Amino acid sequence: MAEIFMFLYSGGLELLCDSKKIHNVNVEQQNGEDKLIMKDLLSWVRTNLIKERPEMFMKGDTVRPGVLVLVNDCDWELSGQLSTTLEDKDVVVFISTLHGG
Amino acid sequence: MACNGDGCQSTCYKDEQPCSKPTESPNPSNNICIKCKLNDAVSGYGGVDDGRFCADCFRSNLFGKFRLAVTSNAMITPTDKVLVAFSGGPSSRVALQFVHDMQERAQKNFDASRDRSLPVFGVGVVFIDESAILSIPSGEMEEAVEVISSVVSSLAPPTKELHIVPIENVYSSDSSDGKEKLIKLVGSVSDPTGREDMLLYLRMLALQKVASEFGYNRLVLGSCVSRIASHVISATVKGQGYSLPADIQYVDARWEIPIVLPLRDCFAQEINMFCHLDGLKTFRLSTGPCSTINSLVSSFVALLQEENPSRESTIVRTAGKLIPFQFNRIPEIVDGKVPLATRRRQKRYNLKPNDSVSSESFCLLCNSPLDKSEIVDASNADNSRSSDIFYSACCSSCHFQILPSDSISMEQFYMDLPQSVLSRAKQANNGNLSLLR
Amino acid sequence: MEEEKKRQRGVRLCCLCNEQRASLKRPKTLEHICRDCFYRVFEDEIHDVILSNNLFSPGDRVAIGASGGKDSTVLAYVLSKLNKTHNYGLDLFLLSVDEGITGYRDDSLLTVHRNQIQYGLPLKVISYEELYGWTMDNIVKMIGLKNNCTFCGVFRRQALDRGAALLKVDKVVTGHNADDIAETVLLNILRGDIARLSRCTSIITGEDSPIPRCKPFKYTYEKEIVMYAYFKKLDYFSTECIYSPNAYRGFAREFIKDLERIRPRAILDIIQSGENFRISATTKMPEQGTCERCGYISSQKWCKACVLLDGLNRGLPKLGIGRSRGSIDGCKDRNEKNGGKSIESKQCGTLDF
Repeated sequence: MAEIFMFLYSGGLELLCDSKKIHNVNVEQQNGEDKLIMKDLLSWVRTNLIKERPEMFMKGDTVRPGVLVLVNDCDWELSGQLSTTLEDKDVVVFISTLHGG
Repeated sequence: MACNGDGCQSTCYKDEQPCSKPTESPNPSNNICIKCKLNDAVSGYGGVDDGRFCADCFRSNLFGKFRLAVTSNAMITPTDKVLVAFSGGPSSRVALQFVHDMQERAQKNFDASRDRSLPVFGVGVVFIDESAILSIPSGEMEEAVEVISSVVSSLAPPTKELHIVPIENVYSSDSSDGKEKLIKLVGSVSDPTGREDMLLYLRMLALQKVASEFGYNRLVLGSCVSRIASHVISATVKGQGYSLPADIQYVDARWEIPIVLPLRDCFAQEINMFCHLDGLKTFRLSTGPCSTINSLVSSFVALLQEENPSRESTIVRTAGKLIPFQFNRIPEIVDGKVPLATRRRQKRYNLKPNDSVSSESFCLLCNSPLDKSEIVDASNADNSRSSDIFYSACCSSCHFQILPSDSISMEQFYMDLPQSVLSRAKQANNGNLSLLR
Repeated sequence: MEEEKKRQRGVRLCCLCNEQRASLKRPKTLEHICRDCFYRVFEDEIHDVILSNNLFSPGDRVAIGASGGKDSTVLAYVLSKLNKTHNYGLDLFLLSVDEGITGYRDDSLLTVHRNQIQYGLPLKVISYEELYGWTMDNIVKMIGLKNNCTFCGVFRRQALDRGAALLKVDKVVTGHNADDIAETVLLNILRGDIARLSRCTSIITGEDSPIPRCKPFKYTYEKEIVMYAYFKKLDYFSTECIYSPNAYRGFAREFIKDLERIRPRAILDIIQSGENFRISATTKMPEQGTCERCGYISSQKWCKACVLLDGLNRGLPKLGIGRSRGSIDGCKDRNEKNGGKSIESKQCGTLDF
């Protein structure tokens, strides 16, 4: 079990999740694995947090293309995307680019 | 890149249904064919005319599009010997059928004419067996070959020669390790899209080789509107905006044997409908799933087509406004044996030279015309390796998605290339040198 | 302690300075770079684009089209920074259009007002109400949610020009990024608009109109703009327009993002294709004249804004809808098909090309 701080930035992502931008969530590892990874967090978000239109946030088991993800302020493309390991008190930021600007 | 019909796994709709069921139109005032006003209209072939024609009028309409493309562009003339590339998919199946119908009519006219001055053009069929590089489930290829043989042999006379050729045939027959080299060559391309495109170029080489060896002077591909629309988008996505118009015209004579696309104005849905109505047998070899630019583009175009039934033709129409190249027409016939009428007709329909781009340099790998910025001066490359010279004479798209970037792997890649590519490279080099002198 | 924790997780060092922890993967080069190096290359590249395309001359008065969104906020920040560090000698202004959309534009204008102070740039706000006598709120009240983007787009384009004329600027810069331009190339192919296709990749457009527009972000990835704004904690506004809540669901934009995932370079390749398309010079370009009513450039007797405005004022808002191509097609697509999904992402979000 790890406590993860999630920030949903811009583009209406927060509207899909109770209109809250900041979420403190407690997520458990799946299938008895000892490490928690981003994939677990996303599937948890999908089942527990997203109230409507999940396709705005997710595509398959990952985020929809155009949503940027940062783990502890680092681009998740550097840390292995879905396989990025998460630890207690980690900060995960989602930024959607799919809106006007 | 044009390729042979729907059998190529790269740019086809993933869930294409070869047969869409004709359905009775629900509106009683609409279900009489608007053309003959006799028979019930059928629907399911898409486009703006969907549900307006009966089966017979639909057939003759589709054939009409084919024939117009053939005659307007002088694709097939009586003295020609044409090779139809048949993949087993609906498009190339219909292309084969139409070429056959045309030949049959020509034969009837010939038999009926008194002086027999117009000969009947010859037709052959080619199928490229790609099992050396594609993982095709065992048994499927044997089955495919059986179907193809029965299709071709069941067509009424004149008899059509059938060539079933393995893709490794691109290597000269005297080199016993062709298949090995081929596998190594394709395997060295790391980008999945690049690998798919490489396969297309190799397939074209194989087709050209068969055509050339057996004395054909035209290669017929079944590319339809839907296929061309996807090609327009994927070429754009790969940065090939300059060379794109070369690939999408009725005629592409940059190859030794000119390629013609008589189904350029027919839609995939129409073609599927035709196969269904006439019970034409088609098949699709199952190849593994792929996540490439080509497949992404195909599903994008399919989605757009669903949203708006004229989208594909709009895409092709837009790209059709780009300036084609000099080689996008059948070369002028100087042969006095060809009837004057044919020559005159060809002249009339051919592009005016000033409307088209002349280009002398082509990518040594994919044969696409090179844009000015891609042409490098090879004059100071005298002491570099031939593989490096080869590399520098390829287009930027091939650089990115196919060719290895380090010199050593490039040398290996170069060694594994088929002889025909290498000799084209040598020719091009000599050409450059003689220009410099 | 903190440092160790990151190391353990295998995050590499920046491949440019080899000192700091890499913070992002550049879509353009796939390099792993740290924040500081990112700021530097990001700004340097825009500087190079400005120089190599001769976007500005010393002494130019330049208006930055500012919506308060990410692109224009980063543009204002970077441009004022480059102007100082490289002595461009530009007089920069922020120019905003107030469409009169309560709960959306009023909020984003607050952002622009803050930017004015943060970057020390004079701000001019020009409103639909003062130009046309109508706010978007009033227009929507009259015509409903169908076609409202058409009005908004046509009015905004003209409003920006009029604002620029009032500021007496030589150039207007907009925040269109590489993703936007790639999308526009595709849209013009999909719609068969060969005239726009030939123009849409130019970095300077409207040279025939009184005030040229430039796009310094033409080669800048959206991802990098968003990352820059995020890392620099720039103050920008990011809510969807309330009158077009699903505008960002465009097919073409999604396609671009899908492409970017498997091949980031595709975005630049599309732009390159757009630049290299051989389009016959005889392709008909609309003849430009001036509107008999307001004097704005127009290929017709009246400009589009005057036609729409006339319809509104006469209580016949359908006038002028659906007769021409372009953005109007887009809205038609969106509103008539599939209940809200169109091929295009920004009928209204930004300025027309």
